[in-house]
Amino acid sequence: MAADCCYEVSQIAYVKLVLHALKHPSSAVNGLLLGRLRQDGSTATVEVADAVPLSHAQIGLLPALEIALIQIEEHFEAEGLSVVGYYHANERHNDLELGNAAKKIGDHIFRFFPRAAVLLLDNNKLQKLKTGKGRDPAVQLYTRDSSRSWRQTGSDGSNQLTLKEPAANIVLFDYISSEKWQQIVDFDDHLDDISKDWLNPGLFD
Amino acid sequence: MVGAEEAARLDRLEIQVENGGGGAWEYLCLVRKLKPRRSDKVLKHGLAILNDPKARSNLGGEEWTLYEQVAFAAFDCQQHNVAKVFSLSLSLPLHIKSEKHLMDCVAVLSKEFPGSLRVGRLEGMLLEAENSWAEAEKVYARLLEDNPLDQIIYKRKVAIAKAQGDLKVAVDFLNKYLEIFMSDHDAWRELAEIYVSLQMYKQAAFCYEELLLSQPTVSLYHLAYAEANESQCIEYSGFIILLFLRFLLTAFIEQVLYTMGGLENLLTAKKYYASTITLSGGKNTRALYGICLCSAAISQLTKGRSKEEKESSDLPSLAAEALLRDYKYRAPKKLPLLNSMLKNMKLSS
Repeated sequence: MAADCCYEVSQIAYVKLVLHALKHPSSAVNGLLLGRLRQDGSTATVEVADAVPLSHAQIGLLPALEIALIQIEEHFEAEGLSVVGYYHANERHNDLELGNAAKKIGDHIFRFFPRAAVLLLDNNKLQKLKTGKGRDPAVQLYTRDSSRSWRQTGSDGSNQLTLKEPAANIVLFDYISSEKWQQIVDFDDHLDDISKDWLNPGLFD
Repeated sequence: MVGAEEAARLDRLEIQVENGGGGAWEYLCLVRKLKPRRSDKVLKHGLAILNDPKARSNLGGEEWTLYEQVAFAAFDCQQHNVAKVFSLSLSLPLHIKSEKHLMDCVAVLSKEFPGSLRVGRLEGMLLEAENSWAEAEKVYARLLEDNPLDQIIYKRKVAIAKAQGDLKVAVDFLNKYLEIFMSDHDAWRELAEIYVSLQMYKQAAFCYEELLLSQPTVSLYHLAYAEANESQCIEYSGFIILLFLRFLLTAFIEQVLYTMGGLENLLTAKKYYASTITLSGGKNTRALYGICLCSAAISQLTKGRSKEEKESSDLPSLAAEALLRDYKYRAPKKLPLLNSMLKNMKLSS
Protein backbone atom coordinates (compact mmCIF):
# COMPACT_ATOMS: atom_id res chain seq x y z
CA MET A 1 0.00 0.00 0.00
CA ALA A 2 1.60 3.20 -1.10
CA ALA A 3 -0.84 5.49 0.61
CA ASP A 4 0.13 7.06 3.90
CA CYS A 5 -1.14 5.34 6.93
CA CYS A 6 -0.73 5.82 10.63
CA TYR A 7 -0.59 2.98 13.06
CA GLU A 8 -1.83 3.72 16.53
CA VAL A 9 -1.17 1.06 19.12
CA SER A 10 -3.25 1.08 22.26
CA GLN A 11 -1.71 0.60 25.66
CA ILE A 12 -3.51 -2.69 26.21
CA ALA A 13 -2.13 -4.22 23.03
CA TYR A 14 1.35 -2.85 23.57
CA VAL A 15 1.66 -3.92 27.19
CA LYS A 16 0.25 -7.37 26.49
CA LEU A 17 2.71 -8.12 23.76
CA VAL A 18 5.71 -7.00 25.78
CA LEU A 19 4.58 -8.93 28.85
CA HIS A 20 4.07 -12.01 26.71
CA ALA A 21 7.63 -11.77 25.44
CA LEU A 22 8.94 -11.30 28.96
CA LYS A 23 7.14 -14.34 30.26
CA HIS A 24 9.02 -16.60 27.85
CA PRO A 25 12.50 -15.18 27.68
CA SER A 26 14.15 -18.19 26.14
CA SER A 27 11.87 -18.68 23.18
CA ALA A 28 10.23 -16.76 20.41
CA VAL A 29 6.68 -15.58 21.01
CA ASN A 30 3.99 -14.31 18.73
CA GLY A 31 0.45 -13.08 18.74
CA LEU A 32 -2.28 -11.37 16.80
CA LEU A 33 -3.20 -7.70 16.73
CA LEU A 34 -6.85 -6.74 16.67
CA GLY A 35 -8.20 -3.42 15.58
CA ARG A 36 -9.96 -1.39 12.94
CA LEU A 37 -9.28 1.02 10.14
CA ARG A 38 -10.30 4.62 10.66
CA GLN A 39 -10.55 7.03 7.77
CA ASP A 40 -10.38 10.75 8.58
CA GLY A 41 -10.59 12.43 5.24
CA SER A 42 -7.38 11.61 3.47
CA THR A 43 -5.56 10.04 6.41
CA ALA A 44 -6.02 6.43 7.20
CA THR A 45 -5.25 5.19 10.67
CA VAL A 46 -5.04 1.61 11.75
CA GLU A 47 -6.07 1.50 15.37
CA VAL A 48 -4.60 -1.51 17.10
CA ALA A 49 -7.00 -1.92 19.97
CA ASP A 50 -6.00 -5.23 21.47
CA ALA A 51 -3.61 -8.13 21.16
CA VAL A 52 -4.03 -11.84 21.73
CA PRO A 53 -0.87 -13.75 22.61
CA LEU A 54 -0.63 -16.93 20.59
CA SER A 55 2.34 -19.14 21.27
CA HIS A 56 5.70 -19.45 22.86
CA ALA A 57 6.78 -22.85 21.67
CA GLN A 58 7.13 -24.37 18.22
CA ILE A 59 5.81 -21.31 16.50
CA GLY A 60 6.30 -22.97 13.13
CA LEU A 61 3.53 -25.47 13.75
CA LEU A 62 0.43 -24.29 11.99
CA PRO A 63 -2.61 -26.20 13.27
CA ALA A 64 -2.79 -24.26 16.51
CA LEU A 65 -2.48 -21.02 14.57
CA GLU A 66 -5.41 -21.97 12.38
CA ILE A 67 -7.64 -22.74 15.31
CA ALA A 68 -6.64 -19.54 17.02
CA LEU A 69 -7.34 -17.45 13.92
CA ILE A 70 -10.81 -18.91 13.58
CA GLN A 71 -11.80 -18.41 17.20
CA ILE A 72 -10.17 -15.02 17.64
CA GLU A 73 -11.72 -13.61 14.48
CA GLU A 74 -15.13 -14.80 15.54
CA HIS A 75 -14.87 -13.41 19.02
CA PHE A 76 -13.69 -9.97 18.06
CA GLU A 77 -16.10 -9.61 15.18
CA ALA A 78 -18.79 -8.94 17.75
CA GLU A 79 -16.78 -5.97 18.99
CA GLY A 80 -16.29 -4.60 15.53
CA LEU A 81 -12.64 -5.51 15.50
CA SER A 82 -10.73 -7.73 13.11
CA VAL A 83 -7.22 -9.06 12.77
CA VAL A 84 -5.11 -6.14 11.59
CA GLY A 85 -1.65 -7.41 12.31
CA TYR A 86 0.73 -9.74 13.99
CA TYR A 87 3.50 -9.37 16.55
CA HIS A 88 6.62 -11.39 16.98
CA ALA A 89 9.53 -11.46 19.39
CA ASN A 90 12.63 -13.32 18.30
CA GLU A 91 14.29 -16.03 20.33
CA ARG A 92 17.65 -14.37 20.46
CA HIS A 93 18.19 -11.04 22.15
CA ASN A 94 20.09 -9.31 19.41
CA ASP A 95 18.14 -10.71 16.49
CA LEU A 96 16.36 -7.78 14.90
CA GLU A 97 15.44 -9.49 11.69
CA LEU A 98 11.92 -10.39 10.71
CA GLY A 99 12.09 -14.16 10.26
CA ASN A 100 10.42 -16.26 7.60
CA ALA A 101 7.76 -17.67 9.86
CA ALA A 102 6.72 -14.15 10.85
CA LYS A 103 6.69 -13.01 7.23
CA LYS A 104 4.51 -15.92 6.18
CA ILE A 105 1.95 -15.29 8.85
CA GLY A 106 2.10 -11.59 8.02
CA ASP A 107 1.47 -12.43 4.37
CA HIS A 108 -1.58 -14.40 5.28
CA ILE A 109 -3.04 -11.56 7.33
CA PHE A 110 -2.19 -9.13 4.54
CA ARG A 111 -4.48 -11.08 2.22
CA PHE A 112 -7.45 -10.15 4.35
CA PHE A 113 -6.26 -6.74 5.51
CA PRO A 114 -3.97 -4.95 3.09
CA ARG A 115 -2.69 -2.49 5.66
CA ALA A 116 -1.56 -5.29 7.96
CA ALA A 117 1.11 -4.38 10.46
CA VAL A 118 3.81 -6.65 11.79
CA LEU A 119 5.37 -5.54 15.05
CA LEU A 120 8.74 -6.93 15.99
CA LEU A 121 9.92 -6.55 19.56
CA ASP A 122 13.08 -4.51 19.81
CA ASN A 123 15.12 -5.70 22.79
CA ASN A 124 17.50 -2.78 22.76
CA LYS A 125 14.67 -0.30 23.13
CA LEU A 126 13.12 -2.47 25.79
CA GLN A 127 16.34 -2.33 27.73
CA LYS A 128 16.36 1.47 27.50
CA LEU A 129 12.93 1.48 29.05
CA LYS A 130 14.39 0.12 32.21
CA THR A 131 16.60 3.12 32.67
CA GLY A 132 13.60 5.34 32.31
CA LYS A 133 15.04 6.89 29.18
CA GLY A 134 12.78 4.99 26.84
CA ARG A 135 10.40 7.24 24.98
CA ASP A 136 10.03 5.21 21.83
CA PRO A 137 7.81 2.20 21.65
CA ALA A 138 9.91 -0.93 22.10
CA VAL A 139 8.71 -2.38 18.80
CA GLN A 140 9.53 -1.98 15.16
CA LEU A 141 6.76 -1.69 12.60
CA TYR A 142 6.85 -3.56 9.31
CA THR A 143 4.39 -3.12 6.50
CA ARG A 144 4.09 -4.60 3.04
CA ASP A 145 5.37 -2.29 0.38
CA SER A 146 4.58 -2.31 -3.31
CA SER A 147 7.32 -4.85 -4.00
CA ARG A 148 5.42 -7.36 -1.83
CA SER A 149 8.09 -7.54 0.81
CA TRP A 150 7.96 -6.51 4.42
CA ARG A 151 9.77 -3.29 5.09
CA GLN A 152 10.54 -1.60 8.31
CA THR A 153 9.11 1.88 8.64
CA GLY A 154 11.26 4.61 10.13
CA SER A 155 9.84 7.35 12.26
CA ASP A 156 10.18 9.77 9.36
CA GLY A 157 8.60 7.40 6.89
CA SER A 158 5.18 7.55 5.47
CA ASN A 159 3.79 4.96 7.87
CA GLN A 160 3.95 6.22 11.39
CA LEU A 161 3.81 4.16 14.52
CA THR A 162 2.49 5.87 17.60
CA LEU A 163 1.39 4.77 21.00
CA LYS A 164 -2.13 5.89 21.61
CA GLU A 165 -1.53 6.62 25.27
CA PRO A 166 1.75 8.49 25.70
CA ALA A 167 2.24 7.13 29.19
CA ALA A 168 2.20 3.56 27.95
CA ASN A 169 5.92 3.06 28.51
CA ILE A 170 5.66 4.21 32.10
CA VAL A 171 2.77 1.88 32.75
CA LEU A 172 4.74 -0.91 31.12
CA PHE A 173 7.73 -0.26 33.34
CA ASP A 174 5.48 -0.49 36.38
CA TYR A 175 4.13 -3.83 35.27
CA ILE A 176 7.60 -5.14 34.59
CA SER A 177 8.69 -4.20 38.08
CA SER A 178 5.77 -6.04 39.57
CA GLU A 179 6.47 -9.12 37.40
CA LYS A 180 3.04 -8.85 35.87
CA TRP A 181 4.14 -11.03 32.97
CA GLN A 182 3.61 -14.13 35.04
CA GLN A 183 -0.13 -13.73 34.74
CA ILE A 184 -0.39 -13.46 31.01
CA VAL A 185 -2.01 -16.38 29.17
CA ASP A 186 -1.52 -17.23 25.52
CA PHE A 187 -3.37 -19.57 23.17
CA ASP A 188 -0.74 -22.26 23.73
CA ASP A 189 -1.45 -22.15 27.46
CA HIS A 190 -5.14 -22.45 26.67
CA LEU A 191 -4.58 -25.56 24.57
CA ASP A 192 -2.62 -27.10 27.42
CA ASP A 193 -5.30 -26.20 29.92
CA ILE A 194 -8.55 -24.91 28.49
CA SER A 195 -9.57 -23.25 31.72
CA LYS A 196 -6.94 -20.60 30.96
CA ASP A 197 -8.43 -17.73 29.02
CA TRP A 198 -6.46 -16.25 26.11
CA LEU A 199 -8.49 -13.09 26.37
CA ASN A 200 -6.69 -12.33 29.62
CA PRO A 201 -9.70 -10.73 31.28
CA GLY A 202 -8.87 -8.89 34.46
CA LEU A 203 -5.19 -8.74 33.66
CA PHE A 204 -5.09 -5.00 34.09
CA ASP A 205 -7.52 -4.61 36.91
CA MET B 1 9.59 -36.54 30.37
CA VAL B 2 8.50 -35.28 33.73
CA GLY B 3 5.62 -37.07 35.41
CA ALA B 4 2.70 -35.00 36.58
CA GLU B 5 3.21 -35.98 40.20
CA GLU B 6 6.82 -34.97 40.26
CA ALA B 7 6.04 -31.74 38.46
CA ALA B 8 3.43 -30.95 41.11
CA ARG B 9 5.93 -31.71 43.86
CA LEU B 10 8.43 -29.41 42.23
CA ASP B 11 5.93 -26.56 42.10
CA ARG B 12 4.96 -27.12 45.73
CA LEU B 13 8.55 -27.08 46.86
CA GLU B 14 9.24 -23.99 44.84
CA ILE B 15 6.42 -22.09 46.50
CA GLN B 16 7.55 -23.34 49.89
CA VAL B 17 11.12 -22.23 49.38
CA GLU B 18 10.10 -18.89 47.90
CA ASN B 19 8.07 -18.14 50.98
CA GLY B 20 10.91 -18.91 53.33
CA GLY B 21 9.63 -22.31 54.38
CA GLY B 22 12.95 -24.10 53.93
CA GLY B 23 13.59 -27.16 51.78
CA ALA B 24 15.94 -25.37 49.41
CA TRP B 25 18.34 -28.31 49.07
CA GLU B 26 15.50 -30.74 48.35
CA TYR B 27 14.20 -28.32 45.72
CA LEU B 28 17.60 -28.00 44.09
CA CYS B 29 18.03 -31.79 43.98
CA LEU B 30 14.66 -32.19 42.34
CA VAL B 31 15.51 -29.52 39.79
CA ARG B 32 18.72 -31.39 39.00
CA LYS B 33 16.77 -34.56 38.50
CA LEU B 34 13.87 -33.22 36.44
CA LYS B 35 15.78 -30.49 34.60
CA PRO B 36 13.15 -27.79 34.27
CA ARG B 37 14.54 -24.42 33.37
CA ARG B 38 14.17 -22.43 36.60
CA SER B 39 17.49 -20.73 36.59
CA ASP B 40 16.57 -17.60 38.47
CA LYS B 41 15.21 -19.59 41.40
CA VAL B 42 18.13 -21.99 41.37
CA LEU B 43 20.55 -19.12 41.31
CA LYS B 44 18.83 -17.36 44.18
CA HIS B 45 18.50 -20.31 46.49
CA GLY B 46 21.70 -22.03 45.46
CA LEU B 47 23.75 -18.93 46.12
CA ALA B 48 22.03 -18.54 49.46
CA ILE B 49 23.26 -21.96 50.50
CA LEU B 50 26.74 -21.43 49.07
CA ASN B 51 27.13 -18.13 50.83
CA ASP B 52 26.28 -19.65 54.18
CA PRO B 53 29.40 -21.47 55.41
CA LYS B 54 27.42 -23.68 57.79
CA ALA B 55 24.91 -24.78 55.18
CA ARG B 56 27.72 -25.37 52.75
CA SER B 57 29.70 -27.61 55.02
CA ASN B 58 26.55 -29.58 55.76
CA LEU B 59 26.50 -30.61 52.12
CA GLY B 60 29.78 -32.46 52.34
CA GLY B 61 30.82 -33.80 48.95
CA GLU B 62 27.66 -32.59 47.32
CA GLU B 63 28.98 -29.05 47.63
CA TRP B 64 30.75 -29.38 44.26
CA THR B 65 27.59 -30.52 42.54
CA LEU B 66 25.88 -27.45 43.87
CA TYR B 67 28.65 -25.19 42.59
CA GLU B 68 28.18 -26.70 39.17
CA GLN B 69 24.42 -26.34 39.31
CA VAL B 70 24.61 -22.73 40.40
CA ALA B 71 27.15 -22.03 37.69
CA PHE B 72 24.76 -23.41 35.05
CA ALA B 73 21.95 -21.32 36.49
CA ALA B 74 24.10 -18.24 36.47
CA PHE B 75 25.01 -18.84 32.80
CA ASP B 76 21.36 -18.99 31.97
CA CYS B 77 20.53 -15.86 33.87
CA GLN B 78 23.41 -13.95 32.39
CA GLN B 79 22.16 -14.78 28.97
CA HIS B 80 21.73 -11.76 26.75
CA ASN B 81 18.10 -11.84 27.44
CA VAL B 82 16.41 -8.76 28.70
CA ALA B 83 13.76 -10.44 30.74
CA LYS B 84 16.21 -12.25 32.88
CA VAL B 85 18.19 -9.07 33.26
CA PHE B 86 15.04 -7.35 34.37
CA SER B 87 13.87 -10.02 36.72
CA LEU B 88 17.25 -10.39 38.27
CA SER B 89 18.02 -6.78 38.70
CA LEU B 90 14.63 -5.88 40.00
CA SER B 91 13.98 -8.74 42.30
CA LEU B 92 17.37 -10.05 43.14
CA PRO B 93 19.96 -7.69 44.56
CA LEU B 94 22.64 -10.29 43.84
CA HIS B 95 22.50 -9.57 40.12
CA ILE B 96 25.44 -7.23 39.94
CA LYS B 97 27.47 -9.56 42.08
CA SER B 98 26.37 -12.74 40.38
CA GLU B 99 28.87 -12.43 37.57
CA LYS B 100 31.58 -12.44 40.20
CA HIS B 101 29.95 -15.40 41.92
CA LEU B 102 29.79 -17.15 38.60
CA MET B 103 33.49 -16.78 38.04
CA ASP B 104 34.07 -17.72 41.65
CA CYS B 105 32.10 -20.93 41.20
CA VAL B 106 34.13 -21.91 38.18
CA ALA B 107 37.38 -20.87 39.85
CA VAL B 108 36.60 -22.86 42.99
CA LEU B 109 35.78 -25.93 40.96
CA SER B 110 38.87 -25.77 38.78
CA LYS B 111 41.01 -25.44 41.88
CA GLU B 112 39.42 -28.50 43.42
CA PHE B 113 39.39 -30.59 40.25
CA PRO B 114 42.27 -29.46 38.08
CA GLY B 115 42.29 -30.75 34.53
CA SER B 116 38.83 -32.18 34.86
CA LEU B 117 36.67 -32.52 31.76
CA ARG B 118 33.55 -31.51 33.65
CA VAL B 119 35.14 -28.31 34.87
CA GLY B 120 36.67 -27.72 31.45
CA ARG B 121 33.16 -27.71 30.04
CA LEU B 122 32.13 -25.13 32.61
CA GLU B 123 35.00 -22.94 31.56
CA GLY B 124 33.82 -23.25 27.98
CA MET B 125 30.31 -22.30 29.03
CA LEU B 126 31.60 -19.29 30.91
CA LEU B 127 33.15 -18.08 27.68
CA GLU B 128 29.90 -18.75 25.89
CA ALA B 129 28.00 -16.72 28.46
CA GLU B 130 30.33 -13.84 27.75
CA ASN B 131 29.68 -14.25 24.03
CA SER B 132 33.33 -15.09 23.36
CA TRP B 133 32.36 -17.71 20.85
CA ALA B 134 35.75 -18.22 19.25
CA GLU B 135 37.43 -18.74 22.62
CA ALA B 136 34.73 -21.15 23.70
CA GLU B 137 35.15 -23.14 20.50
CA LYS B 138 38.88 -23.36 21.14
CA VAL B 139 38.30 -24.71 24.64
CA TYR B 140 35.86 -27.29 23.33
CA ALA B 141 38.18 -28.31 20.49
CA ARG B 142 40.93 -28.89 23.02
CA LEU B 143 38.64 -30.94 25.26
CA LEU B 144 37.41 -32.96 22.30
CA GLU B 145 40.95 -34.00 21.45
CA ASP B 146 41.24 -35.80 24.75
CA ASN B 147 37.62 -36.88 24.90
CA PRO B 148 36.42 -37.44 21.35
CA LEU B 149 33.21 -39.10 22.41
CA ASP B 150 31.97 -36.51 24.83
CA GLN B 151 28.35 -35.87 23.93
CA ILE B 152 27.96 -32.73 25.96
CA ILE B 153 30.72 -30.91 24.16
CA TYR B 154 29.17 -31.69 20.79
CA LYS B 155 25.94 -30.27 22.08
CA ARG B 156 27.67 -27.12 23.25
CA LYS B 157 28.93 -26.64 19.71
CA VAL B 158 25.37 -26.86 18.47
CA ALA B 159 24.32 -24.38 21.15
CA ILE B 160 26.99 -21.93 20.04
CA ALA B 161 25.80 -22.14 16.45
CA LYS B 162 22.24 -21.62 17.57
CA ALA B 163 23.11 -18.67 19.77
CA GLN B 164 24.85 -16.99 16.87
CA GLY B 165 21.77 -17.49 14.75
CA ASP B 166 23.46 -19.98 12.44
CA LEU B 167 20.61 -22.42 12.31
CA LYS B 168 21.85 -24.20 9.20
CA VAL B 169 25.19 -24.80 10.89
CA ALA B 170 23.41 -26.02 14.02
CA VAL B 171 21.41 -28.43 11.90
CA ASP B 172 24.60 -29.65 10.26
CA PHE B 173 26.32 -30.27 13.58
CA LEU B 174 23.30 -32.01 15.00
CA ASN B 175 23.04 -34.29 12.00
CA LYS B 176 26.70 -35.22 12.33
CA TYR B 177 26.21 -35.81 16.05
CA LEU B 178 23.22 -38.03 15.43
CA GLU B 179 25.20 -40.15 12.98
CA ILE B 180 27.37 -41.14 15.93
CA PHE B 181 24.87 -41.02 18.76
CA MET B 182 21.69 -42.05 17.01
CA SER B 183 19.81 -43.04 20.11
CA ASP B 184 19.95 -39.63 21.74
CA HIS B 185 16.29 -38.68 21.96
CA ASP B 186 16.90 -35.17 23.18
CA ALA B 187 19.03 -34.49 20.15
CA TRP B 188 16.35 -35.75 17.77
CA ARG B 189 13.83 -33.52 19.48
CA GLU B 190 16.10 -30.52 19.31
CA LEU B 191 16.72 -31.14 15.63
CA ALA B 192 13.00 -31.48 14.99
CA GLU B 193 12.33 -28.20 16.76
CA ILE B 194 14.97 -26.40 14.74
CA TYR B 195 13.48 -27.79 11.52
CA VAL B 196 10.06 -26.59 12.58
CA SER B 197 11.39 -23.12 13.23
CA LEU B 198 12.83 -23.18 9.71
CA GLN B 199 9.46 -24.45 8.42
CA MET B 200 11.17 -27.59 7.10
CA TYR B 201 8.25 -29.76 8.12
CA LYS B 202 9.19 -32.83 6.13
CA GLN B 203 12.55 -33.01 7.83
CA ALA B 204 10.96 -32.38 11.21
CA ALA B 205 8.55 -35.23 10.55
CA PHE B 206 11.50 -37.49 9.78
CA CYS B 207 13.00 -36.72 13.20
CA TYR B 208 9.73 -37.47 14.91
CA GLU B 209 9.56 -40.75 13.01
CA GLU B 210 12.85 -41.75 14.58
CA LEU B 211 11.48 -40.87 17.98
CA LEU B 212 8.27 -42.76 17.34
CA LEU B 213 10.26 -45.85 16.41
CA SER B 214 12.27 -45.82 19.59
CA GLN B 215 9.60 -44.58 22.00
CA PRO B 216 6.24 -45.48 20.51
CA THR B 217 4.24 -44.90 23.65
CA VAL B 218 5.11 -41.28 24.19
CA SER B 219 1.99 -39.40 23.15
CA LEU B 220 3.82 -36.13 22.66
CA TYR B 221 5.76 -37.56 19.74
CA HIS B 222 2.57 -38.73 18.08
CA LEU B 223 1.13 -35.26 18.49
CA ALA B 224 4.22 -33.53 17.20
CA TYR B 225 4.38 -35.87 14.19
CA ALA B 226 0.74 -35.20 13.42
CA GLU B 227 1.26 -31.44 13.69
CA ALA B 228 4.32 -31.55 11.47
CA ASN B 229 2.36 -33.44 8.85
CA GLU B 230 -0.57 -31.09 9.06
CA SER B 231 1.69 -28.06 8.86
CA GLN B 232 3.20 -29.49 5.71
CA CYS B 233 -0.23 -29.71 4.15
CA ILE B 234 -1.29 -26.29 5.34
CA GLU B 235 1.86 -24.86 3.84
CA TYR B 236 0.95 -26.21 0.42
CA SER B 237 -2.52 -24.91 0.46
CA GLY B 238 -2.13 -21.85 2.57
CA PHE B 239 -4.42 -22.06 5.54
CA ILE B 240 -6.92 -24.27 3.91
CA ILE B 241 -9.58 -24.03 6.57
CA LEU B 242 -9.56 -20.31 6.92
CA LEU B 243 -9.90 -19.96 3.21
CA PHE B 244 -12.86 -22.20 3.02
CA LEU B 245 -14.58 -20.44 5.83
CA ARG B 246 -14.05 -16.93 4.62
CA PHE B 247 -13.46 -16.97 0.93
CA LEU B 248 -15.91 -19.74 0.43
CA LEU B 249 -15.49 -20.14 -3.28
CA THR B 250 -13.09 -18.82 -5.84
CA ALA B 251 -9.69 -18.83 -4.20
CA PHE B 252 -10.49 -22.09 -2.60
CA ILE B 253 -11.16 -23.92 -5.80
CA GLU B 254 -7.60 -23.22 -6.86
CA GLN B 255 -6.41 -24.70 -3.61
CA VAL B 256 -8.41 -27.82 -4.21
CA LEU B 257 -6.45 -28.53 -7.35
CA TYR B 258 -3.49 -29.27 -5.21
CA THR B 259 -1.09 -32.08 -4.83
CA MET B 260 -1.83 -35.53 -3.63
CA GLY B 261 0.96 -35.02 -1.18
CA GLY B 262 -1.21 -32.75 0.86
CA LEU B 263 -3.98 -35.27 1.27
CA GLU B 264 -1.58 -37.98 2.33
CA ASN B 265 -0.12 -35.69 4.93
CA LEU B 266 -3.57 -34.97 6.28
CA LEU B 267 -4.40 -38.64 6.48
CA THR B 268 -1.16 -39.34 8.30
CA ALA B 269 -1.76 -36.44 10.61
CA LYS B 270 -5.23 -37.68 11.41
CA LYS B 271 -3.92 -41.14 12.19
CA TYR B 272 -1.37 -39.79 14.61
CA TYR B 273 -3.77 -37.40 16.27
CA ALA B 274 -5.90 -40.47 16.86
CA SER B 275 -3.03 -42.39 18.38
CA THR B 276 -2.20 -39.40 20.58
CA ILE B 277 -5.74 -39.48 21.89
CA THR B 278 -5.50 -43.19 22.59
CA LEU B 279 -2.23 -42.82 24.41
CA SER B 280 -3.31 -39.84 26.42
CA GLY B 281 -6.67 -41.26 27.42
CA GLY B 282 -8.62 -38.79 25.33
CA LYS B 283 -7.46 -35.79 27.25
CA ASN B 284 -5.26 -34.06 24.75
CA THR B 285 -7.01 -30.90 23.54
CA ARG B 286 -4.60 -30.29 20.67
CA ALA B 287 -5.14 -33.78 19.31
CA LEU B 288 -8.94 -33.42 19.50
CA TYR B 289 -8.75 -30.12 17.64
CA GLY B 290 -6.36 -31.73 15.21
CA ILE B 291 -8.81 -34.44 14.32
CA CYS B 292 -11.51 -31.84 13.71
CA LEU B 293 -9.28 -29.70 11.50
CA CYS B 294 -7.96 -32.68 9.54
CA SER B 295 -11.39 -34.16 8.97
CA ALA B 296 -12.79 -30.87 7.78
CA ALA B 297 -9.87 -30.38 5.43
CA ILE B 298 -10.02 -33.93 4.14
CA SER B 299 -13.72 -33.72 3.42
CA GLN B 300 -13.23 -30.45 1.58
CA LEU B 301 -10.46 -31.93 -0.46
CA THR B 302 -12.23 -35.13 -1.32
CA LYS B 303 -15.39 -33.37 -2.32
CA GLY B 304 -16.45 -34.61 -5.69
CA ARG B 305 -14.29 -37.69 -5.50
CA SER B 306 -15.71 -41.16 -5.48
CA LYS B 307 -17.51 -42.24 -2.38
CA GLU B 308 -15.05 -45.03 -1.49
CA GLU B 309 -12.33 -42.53 -0.88
CA LYS B 310 -14.43 -40.57 1.52
CA GLU B 311 -14.08 -40.80 5.22
CA SER B 312 -16.65 -42.81 7.00
CA SER B 313 -15.95 -42.93 10.63
CA ASP B 314 -17.30 -41.57 13.83
CA LEU B 315 -13.98 -40.22 14.87
CA PRO B 316 -14.47 -36.57 13.92
CA SER B 317 -17.85 -36.26 15.54
CA LEU B 318 -16.63 -38.07 18.64
CA ALA B 319 -13.69 -35.71 18.88
CA ALA B 320 -16.03 -32.76 18.48
CA GLU B 321 -18.27 -34.10 21.19
CA ALA B 322 -15.35 -34.62 23.54
CA LEU B 323 -14.19 -31.05 22.97
CA LEU B 324 -17.66 -29.64 23.54
CA ARG B 325 -17.99 -31.60 26.75
CA ASP B 326 -14.65 -30.48 28.02
CA TYR B 327 -15.31 -26.83 27.23
CA LYS B 328 -18.71 -26.99 28.83
CA TYR B 329 -17.19 -27.94 32.13
CA ARG B 330 -13.88 -26.17 32.11
CA ALA B 331 -14.18 -23.21 29.80
CA PRO B 332 -17.88 -22.38 29.41
CA LYS B 333 -17.20 -18.86 28.25
CA LYS B 334 -15.48 -20.17 25.16
CA LEU B 335 -18.14 -22.73 24.38
CA PRO B 336 -20.07 -20.55 21.88
CA LEU B 337 -16.88 -19.93 19.89
CA LEU B 338 -16.08 -23.61 19.79
CA ASN B 339 -19.63 -24.46 18.81
CA SER B 340 -19.70 -22.10 15.93
CA MET B 341 -16.30 -23.27 14.73
CA LEU B 342 -17.41 -26.89 14.75
CA LYS B 343 -20.67 -26.02 13.05
CA ASN B 344 -18.77 -24.36 10.24
CA MET B 345 -16.71 -27.47 9.92
CA LYS B 346 -19.95 -29.43 9.84
CA LEU B 347 -18.87 -31.48 12.78
CA SER B 348 -21.70 -30.52 15.03
CA SER B 349 -25.27 -29.53 14.57
